[in-house]
Amino acid sequence: MEREIELRLVARLKAGDSAAFEAIYEAYRPRLFGFLARLSRRRDVAEDLLEETWLRLVARASELTDDTRLGPWLFTVARNLFASWCRHRALDDDRISDLVVSWHRPGESPFEATARGETERRLEAALARLPSRDREILLLVGGEELTPAEAAVGLGLAPEAVRKRLQRARERLAREMHEEADEPREKAG
Amino acid sequence: MKLRVYDADPDRVERIRARCLARLEARRSGGRAGARHASGWRRRLEPALAVGLGALYLADANIRALAACADR
Repeated sequence: MEREIELRLVARLKAGDSAAFEAIYEAYRPRLFGFLARLSRRRDVAEDLLEETWLRLVARASELTDDTRLGPWLFTVARNLFASWCRHRALDDDRISDLVVSWHRPGESPFEATARGETERRLEAALARLPSRDREILLLVGGEELTPAEAAVGLGLAPEAVRKRLQRARERLAREMHEEADEPREKAG
Repeated sequence: MKLRVYDADPDRVERIRARCLARLEARRSGGRAGARHASGWRRRLEPALAVGLGALYLADANIRALAACADR
């Protein structure tokens, strides 16, 4: 979203403009849902957290500063809600990765389903196996293209710590993807 | 890292939208009512404050004048 448009939307949302809310909702909803679904690995949880994230935006709209960056604001709230949910449910990484997510795509033909990229499948599988600390930073910086400084605010870390964590997470992801690629060959051999 | 974009269930998407818009509207109308409420209070409070401050100023001036007389 262009910065100028974003600033105007923030000003209108602060004034309670419902059209501004609609525009922000359309722009960020699928990205936020994807982020939450990949973090939680559960569609129902992702939808609940998605709803709570948007309700927070509406509740705090009047308190937003004029230069608020909507993406980082929304992803920070979503990430914090997910962290609260984990604490509440006392879920650890092992239990989360055991949960099955159903990626039902309405309107997708069998051909489209088959044609889905192999790289994408491996990436999703490798992401799902990562600890949630690594997954969240990769999703924020790699997936949602937040800068390390913006992600640092959301994660409550120093930018330098975010860069280091990001570097480690990328290495782990690469390792996971190589292992995923090697497994079928080993099975075949 | 290019990831596929997924979305929530369409019914849920609409429910969230409706809930948020209702809250936004409630806040907007609540804010307007609050502003009207505040301006009503201000209308009544401002003259009372002006009279009160004026009375305090006069009392202070009287006390100073009496103190000056007593000193002489």
